[in-house]
Amino acid sequence: MADTETGVFSDTTTKQRLDLPWDVILWNDPVSLISLVVRVLRKLFSYDLATAERMTMSVHNDGKAVVWSGERDKAAAYCVALHGYALSATIQPSQ
Amino acid sequence: MSEPFRRMPTGVAIDLPEPLRRWLAALATETAHDAVRVDNPVHRRLLGPINPTDDHDDPVKELQRQFGVEGSLGVLVETAHAEMISEDQAEEWIRALQLILAATAARMAILTDEDVAALDEKSTSTITTLQAIISLMIDALDS
Repeated sequence: MADTETGVFSDTTTKQRLDLPWDVILWNDPVSLISLVVRVLRKLFSYDLATAERMTMSVHNDGKAVVWSGERDKAAAYCVALHGYALSATIQPSQ
Repeated sequence: MSEPFRRMPTGVAIDLPEPLRRWLAALATETAHDAVRVDNPVHRRLLGPINPTDDHDDPVKELQRQFGVEGSLGVLVETAHAEMISEDQAEEWIRALQLILAATAARMAILTDEDVAALDEKSTSTITTLQAIISLMIDALDS
């Protein structure tokens, strides 16, 4: 449906997708230090040490972990911040 | 040699041998060069799309990420021979060293722990040296 005033198209499917929570997935990589990953998670997400260590070990042992969920734009921003430390991260709609 | 990185009231003091500083600066320059070449594995590793279902990020976001990579690596190049850097610059060093480490791993086609175990002596030395410098900088900043 088009808004004739603004020319903006509203797409219900896209809107629903944007409204869904999005996950930030952190992927294991074989060269980044565990201490670095813990530090970055604490710095970016303000997690306490125990939470950051638990998430880091999930990444290390399971190959990936959801480290944050929420609005798509914030998820993308967190993902970009993780990439700033060369950590492999992606976003996807929450399952 | 004393501690390579020491947190001081005015920033972080750096005591690294000159050849090591030159090596880091050269690696940072090489990483910045490779990161913008779309056919290079370093580009895919450092600037691949954040949503894997997309071929590319939003062009503005992609440019912001590229600026971020170049900025961190640029700080390391500019301060590679400094005796003292600010804490903000030290944080950029950590980012830059991580970018260099990831770029090096991409060039060596390292994807798994088994790939790391199969590296030759020189490649292993490169990876472990970079990891050691990152670890030392983290220790200094968190002290």
